[in-house]
Amino acid sequence: MATENINFESPRGWRLAGRYMLLAVVTAVVLFPVYTTVIAALKPGDKVLQNPLVPDAFTLDGFSDAWTAGHLDRYLLNSFVVATVITIVQLLTSVLSAYAFAMLDFPGRGALFVVFLATLLVPFEATLVVNRRTVDSLGWLNSYQGLAVPFLATAFGTFLMRQVFLGMPLDLRDAAAIDGVGHLGFLRHVGIPLVRPTLGALALFSFLGSWNQYLWPNLITTEDDMNTVQSGLRLLRSSALDEPNLLMAATIIAAIPIVVVLLLFQRQLVRGLTAGAVKG
Amino acid sequence: MLALVAAGLLAAACGNGETILNAGNEPATTLPVEAPATLPPVDTLAPGDTLAPGETVPPDDTRPPSTTLPPPTTTTIPLADLAECPVDALDEGSGTVELTLWHGLNAESETALTKLTDAYNASQSEVRVELQNQGNYSQTIDKYVQSSQGSRPDVVIFPEYVVQQTADSDSVIPVAACVEESGYDTSTFQPSTLTAYSTAGVQWGMPLGVSNPVLYYNKLVFEAAGLDPEIPPRSLDEVRQFSQQIVDSGAASYGIAVDSGTDSGGGWFLEQWLANEGELYADNGNGRLAPATRVLYDQPPGVELLTYVQQLITDGLAFNVGDNAGGTDTFFKLADESAPAAMTIGTSAALGTVIAALGGGLIPGLTVDDIGVGAMPGPGPTPTALVGGNALFIVKDKGDEKAAAAWDYITYAVSPEAQSQYVTDTGYAPVRADALDVEPALSKYASDPRFRVAYDQLIASPDDPALQGPILGPQREVRGVTARAVAEIFNGGDVQAALSAAATQANLLIADYAARN
Repeated sequence: MATENINFESPRGWRLAGRYMLLAVVTAVVLFPVYTTVIAALKPGDKVLQNPLVPDAFTLDGFSDAWTAGHLDRYLLNSFVVATVITIVQLLTSVLSAYAFAMLDFPGRGALFVVFLATLLVPFEATLVVNRRTVDSLGWLNSYQGLAVPFLATAFGTFLMRQVFLGMPLDLRDAAAIDGVGHLGFLRHVGIPLVRPTLGALALFSFLGSWNQYLWPNLITTEDDMNTVQSGLRLLRSSALDEPNLLMAATIIAAIPIVVVLLLFQRQLVRGLTAGAVKG
Repeated sequence: MLALVAAGLLAAACGNGETILNAGNEPATTLPVEAPATLPPVDTLAPGDTLAPGETVPPDDTRPPSTTLPPPTTTTIPLADLAECPVDALDEGSGTVELTLWHGLNAESETALTKLTDAYNASQSEVRVELQNQGNYSQTIDKYVQSSQGSRPDVVIFPEYVVQQTADSDSVIPVAACVEESGYDTSTFQPSTLTAYSTAGVQWGMPLGVSNPVLYYNKLVFEAAGLDPEIPPRSLDEVRQFSQQIVDSGAASYGIAVDSGTDSGGGWFLEQWLANEGELYADNGNGRLAPATRVLYDQPPGVELLTYVQQLITDGLAFNVGDNAGGTDTFFKLADESAPAAMTIGTSAALGTVIAALGGGLIPGLTVDDIGVGAMPGPGPTPTALVGGNALFIVKDKGDEKAAAAWDYITYAVSPEAQSQYVTDTGYAPVRADALDVEPALSKYASDPRFRVAYDQLIASPDDPALQGPILGPQREVRGVTARAVAEIFNGGDVQAALSAAATQANLLIADYAARN
């Protein structure tokens, strides 16, 4: 423990101790809901509200019940498919548009980019009803297209990637051009390998974002089989109202993939997002 | 501590505010109505009828006399002008007709609906009904409203407060057409349940279950306070009296738990309470003689009523749980270990779920038999009830076979046998009296009187315009603004000011709806 090294003789030591105290309190606040969720998920149904903070009974029934009653396998599959498609296509559209904005010179580039960025200012909620009608008229309710297509391009991704491309010396591009490499060839052999950290961060960001989507899937899904895990949890909540342990178990199951992904890639996330912060 | 964790569990579980068995507290979306623009604004004409702007609807002899009221513009719509109900189309069809049904029922109510539907599917081979849960009433309504006719289900279950919207949306076949076409006998139905789903003399939906608010109370606390556990309070005055005794004796910290939820204490109960006093909620006979133009709850009766409840809170006799998101907060307040309440008012439809939860041992120290159910105490001396609950609607333009199949399913769902089972499983009251002559409801009503409270107060309600309940186009939205005012009042705000502000908003909603229809 780091606290063992605190020297209470010096003011600096006291400051450090105070800082750790504060961190401990904040951590406890943050972890408290997680703790109650885990405790509730592990208790049998009739013990959930008895000594709710004490893990005095233990069973995994909640998890197996949640898995079967909640159709979680189907929901997880849907979430996985949708999040993967959105992530891959978002990377593609972001890289291509960012490359154009950063490396190509064409009339109206500045204005177009401003318009592009302006879409960041329109919250998704504002276009929700219109988007739903469009998806409905295309016959895409309860479909993977409906879940994924509205999110295949994002101004945020373009913006992020453009910053990185801007930091790339134009000489690289010129050298490649002299060797007879076209735009796509340059992107493939030089551009993308160089921006990989940022790309990784963007991928993670997209994946987390689409995995955690709630409002949209909930809105365009009316058939049980097409629910994502987040909208499915809501349904489970309504049918398992008097079984909090089951619901908590399902919540944990839904969160596991995202926790794993985060743990694996969090370094990349931080590195990638700060990579564009300092030019060069 | 228990309350804290229960609240934590619920907060984690519920997220946005929707009630356990009823609809949500989310801001509502207004139904965009596809009626022709040439309709005069206040008429509820048959869709498709086009009148010249100045022209009026021909008077109809069946309308109620109008001595004190403005001339009624709501007429009985000739059924011939509405979508037809080809009840015989099923016999001509071959193969199985697949129906999708959207609903928003939760917990035991959903289980009971599934049971009913499974039994129907097993009973014949021509029709197969697939239930699709949309989460809650609010979600069901929103998704329905926002979908194109082709994306809508074949059958939908809506609560009573969207009847006018549904009728105006020109998207359903009125069940009246099916009743007429097939010569279906509704003579044993509770007349008020059919009225509740009718506008302009046309019955649009077939009631599936009738619920109304009842008093849930902890018998153990009543005993500890020296009260008779078999005699619950029957009026708000008695609630005050009982609460005082409970608090003074130390049997519980509070007499009653109240809430300001849209579909409970903030909206629905106010409608019930005003009706209990014989007061109208909206003008034009609660909107039943002609479309309502304004709400009346900011008048002295409404102000007095809410002042009374506010005083209960101020005096420490009642505890306000807030907007009751999830619909379970008031119930959990009864089980709060540190500062429990002895009573609460909740929908009778929750009874099945409450019993299941207590039977499963969810609440330590409280068994199924410890919870008593009484009629809803109101400002008047005797309890009354408006028809709440939900009804089945047949979506039109789905083809003759589907319409016929939907009607077949409906006649099964409201058959005495199916109703008997449904009310026994849930706590809903049956829509027809003869459902109580058959098992299992026959024994259930005899052995467990808690199940018949909702039914008894419904049939005991006098036949009075106030007791038909309000019918407003934007009723869901009006409930929303009303609930916010009630929340303000329960938190100590000025009653008259809050109600006046809410009424102004509600009247705007009503005017806006009228202008668009």
